[in-house]
Amino acid sequence: MYSEPYIDPASAHAAAAPIEHRFNPYSDNGGTILAIAGSDFAVLAGDTRHTTGYSINSRFQPKVHTLPCDPPILVSANGYSADGDTLVRRLGQRVQWYSYNHNKAISVAACARLIQTMLYGKRFFPYYVHTIVAGLDEEGRGAVYSFDPVGSYEREQCRAGGAAASLIMPFLDNQVNLKNQYDVQTGEPKTAVYLSLDDTIKLVKDAFSSATERHIHVGDHLEIKIITKEGVKVEYFPLKRD
Amino acid sequence: MSDPSSINGGSVVAMVGKDCVAIGCDMRLGMQALTVSNDFPKIFQFNNAFLGLTGLATDVITLSEVFRYKVNLYNLREERKIEPETFANLVSSSLYEKRFGPYFVGPVVAGINSKSGHPYICGFDLIGCINFAKDFVVGGTSSEQLFGMCESLWEPDLEPDDLFETISQALLNAQDRDAMSGWGAIVYIITKDKVVKRLLKTRQD
Amino acid sequence: MDAIVARYSRTAGVEHDDLRGEEQYDCSAPSSLPLLSLPPISQPAAFLRAHTDDASNPDCKIKIAHGTTTLAFRFQGGIVVAVDSRATAGSWIASQTVKKVIEINPFLLGTMAGGAADCQFWETWLGIQCRLHELREKSRISVAAASKILSNLVYSYKGMGLSMGTMICGYTKLEGPAIYYVDSDGTRLKGDLFCVGSGQTFAYGVLDSAYKWDLSVEEALALGKRSILAATHRDAFSGGSVNLYHVKESGWTYYGNHNVGELFWKTKAEEQSFENVPTDFTVDA
Repeated sequence: MYSEPYIDPASAHAAAAPIEHRFNPYSDNGGTILAIAGSDFAVLAGDTRHTTGYSINSRFQPKVHTLPCDPPILVSANGYSADGDTLVRRLGQRVQWYSYNHNKAISVAACARLIQTMLYGKRFFPYYVHTIVAGLDEEGRGAVYSFDPVGSYEREQCRAGGAAASLIMPFLDNQVNLKNQYDVQTGEPKTAVYLSLDDTIKLVKDAFSSATERHIHVGDHLEIKIITKEGVKVEYFPLKRD
Repeated sequence: MSDPSSINGGSVVAMVGKDCVAIGCDMRLGMQALTVSNDFPKIFQFNNAFLGLTGLATDVITLSEVFRYKVNLYNLREERKIEPETFANLVSSSLYEKRFGPYFVGPVVAGINSKSGHPYICGFDLIGCINFAKDFVVGGTSSEQLFGMCESLWEPDLEPDDLFETISQALLNAQDRDAMSGWGAIVYIITKDKVVKRLLKTRQD
Repeated sequence: MDAIVARYSRTAGVEHDDLRGEEQYDCSAPSSLPLLSLPPISQPAAFLRAHTDDASNPDCKIKIAHGTTTLAFRFQGGIVVAVDSRATAGSWIASQTVKKVIEINPFLLGTMAGGAADCQFWETWLGIQCRLHELREKSRISVAAASKILSNLVYSYKGMGLSMGTMICGYTKLEGPAIYYVDSDGTRLKGDLFCVGSGQTFAYGVLDSAYKWDLSVEEALALGKRSILAATHRDAFSGGSVNLYHVKESGWTYYGNHNVGELFWKTKAEEQSFENVPTDFTVDA
């Protein structure tokens, strides 16, 4: 028993157990996006901070894209930016091919279904992104569609995605869909009405200022793209850089 | 999901107003997905201090009783009520005693100092590090949602009625985005000479 | 004959070995099966599990929406289908407004439990297959055949990590009202009454206690709605609102969206139930 040579537990362990390297193609580049649909407009906003872990790679890396079609469609794929950029680039190609093949611009509804098939096409090797699309529907009303990483989607009034979605989304429930608000006279729950464009932009700025305050992956600049029947307008708004 | 601090679910939030503070919690006690009880308040009063306890339910109950015992002894020895600041330090030191086998809780303290009349709130991590805050503190499974709500709804110097509306909206909308919190809510509005407790009508899903 | 055999004996995406990571699309050659790309490694299923299955790996990056209560039952007046509308990712409630009944065509409904994308994608795909069947055979597809197309499809992906628990509900002259339960293990069961999802046990509890074949349409719809309500109350991962459908010979009809926020208090007041929930909201000073 005492004659056994002493073996350093650390080196014994290293010799016995082979180190396993697993294929990990994903990373998280932070950032948050937010879309709200109005009666005759839609906005899609995103911060421009790009991170990995605790490092800030860029303070200005816009991620809200305008697809090459007329009327335009806004899209942002937030999460792992390599996947997001690839998805948006491929989507741009598909949208252009659509116009060549069908001799008409793609509708937001068709674009949403196209994105579903593209995301689900990588069901077993997903794009690590939360995708939001904004545009005007065939009646000219604002339309927002949001997607999970593998392509399940839904049309909504508003949606926050990305790192600070959990901070922003309950605020949107409360202020856009008037959840937990009751009419003082009747005591009945309030029903949501369309917001004006000015109020919408105020709300977006408030949401991002709050998220910036409490989330380290959100900040630097806010880029708001507004889509109306006149086209796309872009507004920038400074966020805290700490 | 086997994380001890999110097995039972639950949330608390506290806010400072003008010469008043507010503290609120949800009413759920669950076992993972199953909602076992909708009558499990997480706020306990100890003289001038209010303690909100989220986390593992067994530790919530145990700690609330430990503090009842300790505050009773404090009352006997000092022959006076315990103030929120003092109670916060009691919470902190009691939690740190279990530094290497902690209670799985996220405590929040709120109250008004009966001498100075100053509002006081603070939060803790599970081993007693105090987070002094001038505005609001949150705890529990919907803390991210609560941070988002509080950061955008809260403003300085709210009167008691406005503070009640603010904390209630923050709590309700936050817990409606968390599967582990909800099933009722309680809010206390605390001013120097009055405490008002309200049970809120909420979604039951 | 060989052409037909070749078409129908082709198995799913697993065997498309030319899809290394690249997404493929080809407008000119429509095929009955979409092409799904695989990660360029030896065990795609293990890879997927490590990155997307939050049960086996809570820290996984890609959270796929789960959690549900859905039910469907046959009765004298046809079929009632009732579902909740909550989508959760971990304990985060991603949505309260999900459409968990997929309208495959005017005579067929599919329900959604498990992976939202899996159900949405394959049940719309099933809609395409049913339409193709109609065009080829000049008659509507039977519920048995439709459900079998889906079960064969998911079986061809067995072990790859698809997650779905669905009920295919429909009415044909040949079969009458029919419900088939199909899940991603490849199970396919014909039955009178099913509840599927994380809240299924709660729904069964209410449904079984009051279910009779002779229920009127109105009673059946109320029972379906009440069963989902019970499940949303006790199951953290079910909630939002109840979507109601009735399927009869002329196809399905939608019986509205009922928000649980209001439905609960209305039900409680009407039937003096849910005694565990307090109703006294007076101020306690």
